[in-house]
Amino acid sequence: MNENTPVPPRIPPQLPPAAGLSEPRPLGDDPAERAVIPHAFAAIEALLRQPRRLLFQLRQPGAGNLIAGMLLTALLCSLIYGVVAGTFSGGTQLWAAPVKIAAGLMISAAICLPSLYIFTCLSGSQARLIEVGGLLAGLLMLMTILLIGFAPVAWIFSQSTESLAWMGTLHLTFWLVATLFGVRFMKAGFSHANAKSQAGLNVWVVIFLLVALQMTTALRPVLGQSDTFFPVEKKFFLGHWAECLKAQPGVAKAD
Amino acid sequence: MQTPPAIKESHPAEIATLLRGESEAISTWSGQWSTQRFVLHLAVLVLGAGAYGAAMGWWRDPQQALYVAIKFPLIILLTTLGNALINGMLAPLLGLNIPFRQSFSAIVMSFTIAAAILGAFSPLMAFLVWNAPPMSSQAFSMPAYNVIKLTHVAMITFAGIMGNARLWQLLGHLGGSRAVAFRVLFAWLAGNLFLGSQLSWILRPFIGSPDLPVEFLRATALHGNFYENVLSTSQQILNAFWND
Repeated sequence: MNENTPVPPRIPPQLPPAAGLSEPRPLGDDPAERAVIPHAFAAIEALLRQPRRLLFQLRQPGAGNLIAGMLLTALLCSLIYGVVAGTFSGGTQLWAAPVKIAAGLMISAAICLPSLYIFTCLSGSQARLIEVGGLLAGLLMLMTILLIGFAPVAWIFSQSTESLAWMGTLHLTFWLVATLFGVRFMKAGFSHANAKSQAGLNVWVVIFLLVALQMTTALRPVLGQSDTFFPVEKKFFLGHWAECLKAQPGVAKAD
Repeated sequence: MQTPPAIKESHPAEIATLLRGESEAISTWSGQWSTQRFVLHLAVLVLGAGAYGAAMGWWRDPQQALYVAIKFPLIILLTTLGNALINGMLAPLLGLNIPFRQSFSAIVMSFTIAAAILGAFSPLMAFLVWNAPPMSSQAFSMPAYNVIKLTHVAMITFAGIMGNARLWQLLGHLGGSRAVAFRVLFAWLAGNLFLGSQLSWILRPFIGSPDLPVEFLRATALHGNFYENVLSTSQQILNAFWND
Protein backbone atom coordinates (compact mmCIF):
# COMPACT_ATOMS: atom_id res chain seq x y z
CA MET A 1 0.00 0.00 0.00
CA ASN A 2 1.54 3.35 -1.04
CA GLU A 3 0.77 6.85 0.10
CA ASN A 4 -1.62 7.46 -2.83
CA THR A 5 -3.92 4.61 -1.92
CA PRO A 6 -7.16 6.15 -0.65
CA VAL A 7 -7.81 5.31 2.98
CA PRO A 8 -11.40 4.25 3.59
CA PRO A 9 -13.20 6.46 6.09
CA ARG A 10 -13.45 4.99 9.57
CA ILE A 11 -16.94 3.72 10.20
CA PRO A 12 -17.86 3.11 13.81
CA PRO A 13 -19.06 -0.42 14.48
CA GLN A 14 -22.81 -0.90 14.31
CA LEU A 15 -24.23 -1.29 17.79
CA PRO A 16 -27.39 -3.33 18.34
CA PRO A 17 -30.36 -1.14 19.27
CA ALA A 18 -31.02 -0.84 22.98
CA ALA A 19 -33.45 -3.34 24.37
CA GLY A 20 -36.90 -1.91 24.89
CA LEU A 21 -36.46 0.77 22.22
CA SER A 22 -36.20 -1.68 19.33
CA GLU A 23 -39.12 -2.58 17.06
CA PRO A 24 -40.50 -6.08 17.61
CA ARG A 25 -39.01 -8.78 15.39
CA PRO A 26 -41.13 -8.95 12.22
CA LEU A 27 -43.57 -11.85 12.13
CA GLY A 28 -42.66 -14.68 9.78
CA ASP A 29 -38.88 -14.09 9.82
CA ASP A 30 -38.52 -17.60 11.22
CA PRO A 31 -39.61 -20.26 8.66
CA ALA A 32 -41.35 -22.20 11.46
CA GLU A 33 -43.74 -19.25 11.88
CA ARG A 34 -44.82 -19.56 8.25
CA ALA A 35 -46.01 -23.16 8.67
CA VAL A 36 -49.74 -23.36 8.00
CA ILE A 37 -52.00 -24.16 10.96
CA PRO A 38 -54.15 -26.99 9.60
CA HIS A 39 -56.63 -27.60 12.42
CA ALA A 40 -57.85 -26.48 15.83
CA PHE A 41 -55.42 -28.68 17.81
CA ALA A 42 -52.51 -27.13 15.93
CA ALA A 43 -53.97 -23.71 16.71
CA ILE A 44 -54.08 -24.55 20.44
CA GLU A 45 -50.50 -25.84 20.30
CA ALA A 46 -49.38 -22.71 18.44
CA LEU A 47 -51.20 -20.41 20.84
CA LEU A 48 -49.41 -21.95 23.82
CA ARG A 49 -45.96 -22.60 22.33
CA GLN A 50 -45.58 -20.52 19.16
CA PRO A 51 -47.86 -17.48 19.50
CA ARG A 52 -45.87 -15.68 16.76
CA ARG A 53 -46.84 -18.43 14.32
CA LEU A 54 -50.52 -17.87 15.08
CA LEU A 55 -50.10 -14.09 14.85
CA PHE A 56 -48.42 -14.49 11.45
CA GLN A 57 -51.16 -16.79 10.16
CA LEU A 58 -53.89 -14.40 11.33
CA ARG A 59 -52.45 -11.78 8.96
CA GLN A 60 -52.47 -14.03 5.93
CA PRO A 61 -55.24 -14.06 3.28
CA GLY A 62 -57.86 -16.67 4.12
CA ALA A 63 -57.40 -16.31 7.88
CA GLY A 64 -61.19 -16.46 8.20
CA ASN A 65 -61.20 -20.25 8.45
CA LEU A 66 -58.56 -20.16 11.17
CA ILE A 67 -60.54 -17.55 13.11
CA ALA A 68 -63.74 -19.58 12.75
CA GLY A 69 -61.90 -22.66 14.04
CA MET A 70 -60.55 -20.66 16.99
CA LEU A 71 -64.01 -19.35 17.85
CA LEU A 72 -65.47 -22.84 17.62
CA THR A 73 -62.74 -24.15 19.94
CA ALA A 74 -63.44 -21.34 22.39
CA LEU A 75 -67.16 -22.16 22.26
CA LEU A 76 -66.53 -25.86 22.89
CA CYS A 77 -64.10 -25.20 25.74
CA SER A 78 -66.48 -22.74 27.40
CA LEU A 79 -69.29 -25.30 27.16
CA ILE A 80 -67.09 -27.93 28.85
CA TYR A 81 -66.08 -25.51 31.59
CA GLY A 82 -69.75 -24.59 31.95
CA VAL A 83 -70.66 -28.22 32.66
CA VAL A 84 -68.03 -28.26 35.42
CA ALA A 85 -69.45 -25.02 36.84
CA GLY A 86 -72.94 -26.52 36.62
CA THR A 87 -71.98 -29.52 38.79
CA PHE A 88 -72.06 -27.17 41.80
CA SER A 89 -75.88 -27.04 41.71
CA GLY A 90 -76.59 -30.00 39.41
CA GLY A 91 -80.07 -30.50 37.91
CA THR A 92 -80.98 -28.00 35.22
CA GLN A 93 -77.77 -26.08 35.83
CA LEU A 94 -75.85 -28.91 34.14
CA TRP A 95 -77.11 -27.59 30.81
CA ALA A 96 -78.05 -24.03 31.77
CA ALA A 97 -74.60 -23.09 33.11
CA PRO A 98 -72.68 -24.16 29.96
CA VAL A 99 -75.20 -22.39 27.72
CA LYS A 100 -74.99 -19.20 29.78
CA ILE A 101 -71.20 -19.20 30.09
CA ALA A 102 -70.62 -19.88 26.40
CA ALA A 103 -73.29 -17.43 25.28
CA GLY A 104 -72.13 -14.78 27.76
CA LEU A 105 -68.56 -15.02 26.55
CA MET A 106 -69.47 -14.85 22.87
CA ILE A 107 -71.94 -11.99 23.37
CA SER A 108 -69.38 -10.04 25.43
CA ALA A 109 -66.83 -10.48 22.65
CA ALA A 110 -69.34 -9.45 19.97
CA ILE A 111 -70.37 -6.37 21.96
CA CYS A 112 -66.76 -5.35 22.51
CA LEU A 113 -65.38 -6.02 19.01
CA PRO A 114 -66.46 -2.69 17.47
CA SER A 115 -64.92 -0.66 20.31
CA LEU A 116 -61.74 -2.73 20.07
CA TYR A 117 -61.46 -1.88 16.38
CA ILE A 118 -62.07 1.82 17.06
CA PHE A 119 -59.47 1.91 19.84
CA THR A 120 -56.87 0.17 17.65
CA CYS A 121 -57.50 2.67 14.85
CA LEU A 122 -57.24 5.58 17.30
CA SER A 123 -53.91 4.26 18.52
CA GLY A 124 -52.57 4.44 14.96
CA SER A 125 -52.59 0.72 14.31
CA GLN A 126 -52.76 -0.58 10.74
CA ALA A 127 -54.64 -3.75 11.74
CA ARG A 128 -57.66 -4.65 9.59
CA LEU A 129 -60.98 -5.62 11.14
CA ILE A 130 -60.38 -9.31 10.40
CA GLU A 131 -57.00 -9.15 12.17
CA VAL A 132 -58.59 -7.47 15.18
CA GLY A 133 -61.28 -10.16 15.15
CA GLY A 134 -58.57 -12.80 14.94
CA LEU A 135 -56.76 -11.39 17.96
CA LEU A 136 -60.02 -11.31 19.90
CA ALA A 137 -60.64 -14.93 18.88
CA GLY A 138 -57.12 -15.72 20.15
CA LEU A 139 -57.94 -14.06 23.47
CA LEU A 140 -61.14 -16.12 23.77
CA MET A 141 -59.44 -19.36 22.80
CA LEU A 142 -56.51 -18.93 25.19
CA MET A 143 -58.87 -17.89 27.97
CA THR A 144 -61.12 -20.91 27.54
CA ILE A 145 -58.37 -23.51 27.16
CA LEU A 146 -56.83 -22.18 30.37
CA LEU A 147 -60.25 -22.52 31.99
CA ILE A 148 -60.25 -26.17 30.89
CA GLY A 149 -56.90 -26.49 32.66
CA PHE A 150 -58.48 -25.08 35.82
CA ALA A 151 -61.57 -27.27 35.47
CA PRO A 152 -60.37 -30.24 37.62
CA VAL A 153 -59.60 -27.86 40.51
CA ALA A 154 -62.96 -26.10 40.08
CA TRP A 155 -64.74 -29.47 40.07
CA ILE A 156 -63.09 -30.61 43.31
CA PHE A 157 -64.12 -27.39 45.04
CA SER A 158 -67.65 -27.49 43.61
CA GLN A 159 -68.11 -30.96 45.16
CA SER A 160 -66.88 -29.92 48.58
CA THR A 161 -68.49 -26.60 49.35
CA GLU A 162 -72.02 -25.24 49.54
CA SER A 163 -70.96 -21.61 49.56
CA LEU A 164 -72.13 -19.83 46.43
CA ALA A 165 -69.96 -16.81 47.28
CA TRP A 166 -66.87 -19.00 47.57
CA MET A 167 -67.48 -20.79 44.27
CA GLY A 168 -68.27 -17.50 42.54
CA THR A 169 -64.99 -16.02 43.79
CA LEU A 170 -63.06 -19.09 42.69
CA HIS A 171 -64.54 -19.07 39.17
CA LEU A 172 -63.94 -15.33 38.86
CA THR A 173 -60.32 -15.74 39.94
CA PHE A 174 -59.75 -18.48 37.36
CA TRP A 175 -61.49 -16.40 34.71
CA LEU A 176 -59.39 -13.34 35.59
CA VAL A 177 -56.09 -15.26 35.41
CA ALA A 178 -57.14 -16.77 32.07
CA THR A 179 -58.21 -13.36 30.75
CA LEU A 180 -54.88 -11.77 31.71
CA PHE A 181 -53.01 -14.36 29.64
CA GLY A 182 -55.46 -13.79 26.77
CA VAL A 183 -54.94 -10.03 26.94
CA ARG A 184 -51.20 -10.56 26.91
CA PHE A 185 -51.53 -12.51 23.66
CA MET A 186 -53.70 -9.79 22.16
CA LYS A 187 -51.25 -7.07 23.15
CA ALA A 188 -48.41 -9.07 21.58
CA GLY A 189 -50.47 -9.11 18.38
CA PHE A 190 -51.07 -5.36 18.43
CA SER A 191 -47.38 -4.67 19.01
CA HIS A 192 -46.89 -5.84 15.41
CA ALA A 193 -49.57 -3.55 14.02
CA ASN A 194 -47.66 -0.25 14.34
CA ALA A 195 -49.79 1.04 17.21
CA LYS A 196 -48.28 4.26 18.63
CA SER A 197 -49.73 3.72 22.09
CA GLN A 198 -51.29 0.93 24.13
CA ALA A 199 -53.45 3.30 26.18
CA GLY A 200 -56.53 2.69 24.04
CA LEU A 201 -56.08 -1.04 24.30
CA ASN A 202 -55.78 -0.80 28.09
CA VAL A 203 -59.04 1.15 28.25
CA TRP A 204 -60.67 -1.52 26.07
CA VAL A 205 -59.45 -4.29 28.42
CA VAL A 206 -61.22 -2.54 31.32
CA ILE A 207 -64.39 -2.24 29.22
CA PHE A 208 -64.22 -5.92 28.25
CA LEU A 209 -63.77 -6.97 31.89
CA LEU A 210 -66.73 -4.86 33.00
CA VAL A 211 -68.95 -6.19 30.21
CA ALA A 212 -68.06 -9.81 31.01
CA LEU A 213 -68.62 -9.25 34.75
CA GLN A 214 -72.00 -7.65 34.11
CA MET A 215 -72.85 -10.58 31.83
CA THR A 216 -72.52 -12.94 34.82
CA THR A 217 -75.26 -10.94 36.55
CA ALA A 218 -77.40 -10.37 33.45
CA LEU A 219 -77.51 -14.13 32.79
CA ARG A 220 -77.75 -15.18 36.45
CA PRO A 221 -77.90 -17.63 38.01
CA VAL A 222 -74.80 -19.19 36.45
CA LEU A 223 -73.94 -21.21 39.57
CA GLY A 224 -76.96 -21.18 41.85
CA GLN A 225 -80.49 -22.40 41.16
CA SER A 226 -83.52 -20.48 39.97
CA ASP A 227 -87.08 -21.13 38.78
CA THR A 228 -86.55 -19.09 35.63
CA PHE A 229 -83.80 -19.34 33.02
CA PHE A 230 -83.31 -15.56 32.93
CA PRO A 231 -83.46 -13.24 35.97
CA VAL A 232 -86.68 -11.35 36.59
CA GLU A 233 -84.95 -8.36 38.20
CA LYS A 234 -82.26 -6.10 36.69
CA LYS A 235 -79.15 -5.55 38.81
CA PHE A 236 -75.56 -4.38 38.52
CA PHE A 237 -72.95 -7.01 39.26
CA LEU A 238 -71.56 -5.28 42.37
CA GLY A 239 -75.01 -5.19 43.97
CA HIS A 240 -75.64 -8.81 43.07
CA TRP A 241 -72.31 -9.93 44.54
CA ALA A 242 -72.94 -8.01 47.75
CA GLU A 243 -76.24 -9.91 48.13
CA CYS A 244 -74.51 -13.25 47.50
CA LEU A 245 -71.83 -12.50 50.12
CA LYS A 246 -74.50 -11.78 52.74
CA ALA A 247 -76.07 -15.23 52.23
CA GLN A 248 -73.10 -17.31 53.51
CA PRO A 249 -73.85 -20.78 54.97
CA GLY A 250 -72.01 -22.25 58.00
CA VAL A 251 -68.57 -23.87 57.81
CA ALA A 252 -67.59 -27.44 58.76
CA LYS A 253 -65.08 -27.91 61.58
CA ALA A 254 -61.63 -29.43 61.17
CA ASP A 255 -60.05 -32.01 63.48
CA MET B 1 -12.24 -37.16 30.79
CA GLN B 2 -15.62 -37.65 29.15
CA THR B 3 -18.87 -37.59 31.04
CA PRO B 4 -20.54 -41.01 31.01
CA PRO B 5 -23.70 -41.11 28.88
CA ALA B 6 -27.05 -40.94 30.68
CA ILE B 7 -28.34 -44.30 31.81
CA LYS B 8 -31.25 -45.28 29.59
CA GLU B 9 -32.69 -47.98 31.79
CA SER B 10 -34.08 -46.95 35.11
CA HIS B 11 -32.41 -48.15 38.31
CA PRO B 12 -33.29 -47.53 41.99
CA ALA B 13 -29.88 -45.84 42.38
CA GLU B 14 -31.26 -43.03 40.24
CA ILE B 15 -33.13 -41.75 43.28
CA ALA B 16 -29.76 -40.66 44.69
CA THR B 17 -29.15 -38.71 41.47
CA LEU B 18 -32.55 -37.06 41.93
CA LEU B 19 -31.76 -36.16 45.54
CA ARG B 20 -28.37 -34.74 44.56
CA GLY B 21 -30.11 -32.59 41.96
CA GLU B 22 -27.82 -33.50 39.06
CA SER B 23 -29.55 -31.21 36.59
CA GLU B 24 -27.88 -32.66 33.48
CA ALA B 25 -29.11 -36.20 34.11
CA ILE B 26 -32.49 -35.13 35.50
CA SER B 27 -33.26 -32.89 32.50
CA THR B 28 -32.41 -35.80 30.18
CA TRP B 29 -34.82 -38.04 32.10
CA SER B 30 -37.57 -35.45 32.03
CA GLY B 31 -37.14 -35.07 28.26
CA GLN B 32 -37.08 -38.80 27.43
CA TRP B 33 -40.16 -40.56 28.70
CA SER B 34 -39.49 -43.97 30.22
CA THR B 35 -42.38 -45.93 31.68
CA GLN B 36 -39.97 -47.93 33.83
CA ARG B 37 -38.53 -44.76 35.34
CA PHE B 38 -41.98 -43.31 35.87
CA VAL B 39 -43.06 -46.47 37.71
CA LEU B 40 -39.92 -46.25 39.85
CA HIS B 41 -40.66 -42.64 40.78
CA LEU B 42 -44.26 -43.51 41.47
CA ALA B 43 -43.19 -46.41 43.69
CA VAL B 44 -40.84 -44.17 45.70
CA LEU B 45 -43.59 -41.60 45.98
CA VAL B 46 -46.18 -44.09 47.21
CA LEU B 47 -43.80 -45.92 49.57
CA GLY B 48 -42.11 -42.79 50.96
CA ALA B 49 -45.25 -40.75 51.52
CA GLY B 50 -47.13 -43.88 52.63
CA ALA B 51 -44.52 -44.75 55.26
CA TYR B 52 -44.57 -41.20 56.59
CA GLY B 53 -48.37 -41.22 56.60
CA ALA B 54 -48.37 -44.47 58.60
CA ALA B 55 -46.07 -42.91 61.19
CA MET B 56 -48.36 -39.89 61.35
CA GLY B 57 -51.54 -41.89 61.96
CA TRP B 58 -49.99 -44.44 64.28
CA TRP B 59 -50.29 -42.24 67.38
CA ARG B 60 -54.10 -42.46 67.18
CA ASP B 61 -54.48 -46.12 66.16
CA PRO B 62 -52.85 -48.73 63.86
CA GLN B 63 -55.96 -48.57 61.68
CA GLN B 64 -55.53 -44.80 61.40
CA ALA B 65 -51.91 -45.48 60.37
CA LEU B 66 -53.14 -47.65 57.50
CA TYR B 67 -55.65 -45.04 56.38
CA VAL B 68 -53.12 -42.20 56.40
CA ALA B 69 -50.57 -44.43 54.62
CA ILE B 70 -53.09 -44.59 51.77
CA LYS B 71 -54.29 -40.99 51.95
CA PHE B 72 -50.93 -39.22 52.08
CA PRO B 73 -49.65 -40.50 48.69
CA LEU B 74 -53.18 -40.10 47.31
CA ILE B 75 -53.11 -36.35 48.01
CA ILE B 76 -49.81 -35.98 46.16
CA LEU B 77 -51.00 -38.02 43.18
CA LEU B 78 -54.37 -36.27 42.95
CA THR B 79 -52.71 -32.85 43.22
CA THR B 80 -50.29 -33.75 40.43
CA LEU B 81 -53.06 -35.09 38.20
CA GLY B 82 -55.55 -32.34 39.00
CA ASN B 83 -53.10 -29.59 38.10
CA ALA B 84 -51.35 -31.42 35.26
CA LEU B 85 -53.28 -29.63 32.51
CA ILE B 86 -52.98 -26.12 33.86
CA ASN B 87 -49.32 -26.59 34.84
CA GLY B 88 -48.55 -27.89 31.35
CA MET B 89 -50.25 -24.83 29.83
CA LEU B 90 -48.66 -22.28 32.16
CA ALA B 91 -45.07 -23.38 31.50
CA PRO B 92 -44.92 -22.24 27.82
CA LEU B 93 -47.03 -19.17 28.57
CA LEU B 94 -44.50 -18.12 31.22
CA GLY B 95 -41.53 -18.64 28.93
CA LEU B 96 -40.54 -22.28 29.43
CA ASN B 97 -41.38 -24.05 26.18
CA ILE B 98 -41.42 -27.67 27.31
CA PRO B 99 -43.86 -30.38 26.24
CA PHE B 100 -46.76 -31.31 28.50
CA ARG B 101 -45.22 -34.68 29.35
CA GLN B 102 -41.95 -33.04 30.42
CA SER B 103 -43.69 -30.62 32.79
CA PHE B 104 -45.68 -33.51 34.27
CA SER B 105 -42.51 -35.57 34.64
CA ALA B 106 -40.66 -32.67 36.30
CA ILE B 107 -43.42 -32.22 38.88
CA VAL B 108 -43.59 -35.96 39.60
CA MET B 109 -39.80 -35.96 40.14
CA SER B 110 -40.00 -33.07 42.61
CA PHE B 111 -42.71 -34.90 44.56
CA THR B 112 -40.60 -38.07 44.39
CA ILE B 113 -37.73 -36.21 46.05
CA ALA B 114 -40.05 -34.90 48.78
CA ALA B 115 -41.55 -38.37 49.30
CA ALA B 116 -38.12 -40.00 49.49
CA ILE B 117 -37.11 -37.50 52.18
CA LEU B 118 -40.36 -38.08 54.08
CA GLY B 119 -39.90 -41.83 53.76
CA ALA B 120 -36.43 -41.50 55.26
CA PHE B 121 -37.88 -39.47 58.13
CA SER B 122 -40.70 -41.93 58.81
CA PRO B 123 -38.68 -44.18 61.21
CA LEU B 124 -37.71 -41.06 63.17
CA MET B 125 -41.34 -40.00 63.34
CA ALA B 126 -42.44 -43.50 64.33
CA PHE B 127 -39.83 -43.49 67.12
CA LEU B 128 -41.09 -40.13 68.34
CA VAL B 129 -44.70 -41.39 68.37
CA TRP B 130 -43.64 -44.62 70.14
CA ASN B 131 -42.08 -42.52 72.90
CA ALA B 132 -45.11 -40.26 73.24
CA PRO B 133 -47.85 -40.97 75.81
CA PRO B 134 -51.00 -42.57 74.30
CA MET B 135 -53.29 -40.14 72.51
CA SER B 136 -56.01 -38.88 74.85
CA SER B 137 -57.90 -35.66 75.43
CA GLN B 138 -55.31 -34.77 78.09
CA ALA B 139 -52.43 -35.48 75.72
CA PHE B 140 -53.52 -32.56 73.56
CA SER B 141 -52.64 -30.18 76.39
CA MET B 142 -49.28 -31.91 77.01
CA PRO B 143 -45.94 -30.93 75.43
CA ALA B 144 -45.87 -34.25 73.53
CA TYR B 145 -48.69 -33.15 71.23
CA ASN B 146 -47.00 -29.87 70.39
CA VAL B 147 -43.66 -31.61 69.83
CA ILE B 148 -45.26 -34.13 67.45
CA LYS B 149 -47.19 -31.44 65.60
CA LEU B 150 -44.16 -29.18 65.20
CA THR B 151 -41.98 -32.09 64.12
CA HIS B 152 -44.48 -32.91 61.38
CA VAL B 153 -44.48 -29.29 60.24
CA ALA B 154 -40.67 -29.15 60.22
CA MET B 155 -40.24 -32.45 58.35
CA ILE B 156 -42.91 -31.77 55.73
CA THR B 157 -41.61 -28.22 55.22
CA PHE B 158 -38.05 -29.46 54.77
CA ALA B 159 -39.11 -32.15 52.30
CA GLY B 160 -41.25 -29.64 50.37
CA ILE B 161 -38.46 -27.07 50.22
CA MET B 162 -35.93 -29.64 48.99
CA GLY B 163 -38.31 -30.98 46.33
CA ASN B 164 -39.00 -27.49 45.05
CA ALA B 165 -35.34 -26.40 45.22
CA ARG B 166 -34.45 -29.33 42.95
CA LEU B 167 -37.38 -28.50 40.68
CA TRP B 168 -36.15 -24.90 40.44
CA GLN B 169 -32.68 -26.10 39.45
CA LEU B 170 -34.21 -28.33 36.80
CA LEU B 171 -36.42 -25.56 35.44
CA GLY B 172 -33.44 -23.20 35.32
CA HIS B 173 -31.50 -25.82 33.39
CA LEU B 174 -34.36 -26.41 30.96
CA GLY B 175 -35.23 -22.75 30.46
CA GLY B 176 -31.76 -21.25 30.66
CA SER B 177 -32.98 -18.39 32.83
CA ARG B 178 -33.47 -18.05 36.58
CA ALA B 179 -36.28 -15.54 36.06
CA VAL B 180 -38.27 -17.93 33.86
CA ALA B 181 -37.60 -20.81 36.26
CA PHE B 182 -38.82 -18.69 39.17
CA ARG B 183 -42.00 -17.62 37.35
CA VAL B 184 -42.89 -21.19 36.38
CA LEU B 185 -42.04 -22.59 39.81
CA PHE B 186 -44.10 -19.89 41.52
CA ALA B 187 -47.14 -20.58 39.30
CA TRP B 188 -46.87 -24.36 39.78
CA LEU B 189 -46.33 -24.01 43.51
CA ALA B 190 -49.32 -21.69 43.91
CA GLY B 191 -51.57 -24.10 42.02
CA ASN B 192 -50.31 -27.18 43.84
CA LEU B 193 -50.64 -25.55 47.27
CA PHE B 194 -54.13 -24.34 46.43
CA LEU B 195 -55.42 -27.74 45.32
CA GLY B 196 -53.28 -29.75 47.77
CA SER B 197 -54.71 -27.84 50.75
CA GLN B 198 -58.27 -28.59 49.66
CA LEU B 199 -57.52 -32.27 49.02
CA SER B 200 -55.95 -32.51 52.49
CA TRP B 201 -59.12 -30.97 53.88
CA ILE B 202 -61.35 -33.49 52.08
CA LEU B 203 -59.19 -36.46 53.07
CA ARG B 204 -58.91 -35.50 56.75
CA PRO B 205 -58.25 -36.79 59.48
CA PHE B 206 -54.49 -37.44 59.52
CA ILE B 207 -53.26 -37.26 63.10
CA GLY B 208 -56.80 -37.98 64.32
CA SER B 209 -58.62 -37.06 67.48
CA PRO B 210 -59.14 -39.22 70.63
CA ASP B 211 -62.77 -38.06 70.88
CA LEU B 212 -63.68 -38.95 67.30
CA PRO B 213 -63.83 -42.42 65.69
CA VAL B 214 -61.09 -43.77 63.44
CA GLU B 215 -62.40 -43.21 59.91
CA PHE B 216 -61.01 -43.06 56.39
CA LEU B 217 -63.05 -39.91 55.69
CA ARG B 218 -65.11 -37.77 58.05
CA ALA B 219 -68.85 -37.64 57.40
CA THR B 220 -68.38 -33.91 56.68
CA ALA B 221 -65.55 -34.52 54.20
CA LEU B 222 -67.34 -32.75 51.38
CA HIS B 223 -68.88 -30.00 53.50
CA GLY B 224 -67.08 -26.68 53.36
CA ASN B 225 -63.53 -26.16 52.24
CA PHE B 226 -60.10 -25.47 53.66
CA TYR B 227 -60.14 -21.75 52.91
CA GLU B 228 -63.61 -21.17 54.33
CA ASN B 229 -62.41 -22.86 57.50
CA VAL B 230 -59.29 -20.66 57.66
CA LEU B 231 -61.46 -17.57 57.22
CA SER B 232 -63.99 -18.71 59.81
CA THR B 233 -61.21 -19.53 62.33
CA SER B 234 -59.60 -16.13 61.73
CA GLN B 235 -62.96 -14.46 62.31
CA GLN B 236 -63.44 -16.37 65.57
CA ILE B 237 -59.96 -15.35 66.77
CA LEU B 238 -60.60 -11.72 65.87
CA ASN B 239 -64.03 -11.77 67.55
CA ALA B 240 -62.53 -13.27 70.73
CA PHE B 241 -59.79 -10.64 70.65
CA TRP B 242 -62.26 -7.77 70.28
CA ASN B 243 -64.60 -9.16 72.95
CA ASP B 244 -61.70 -9.37 75.40
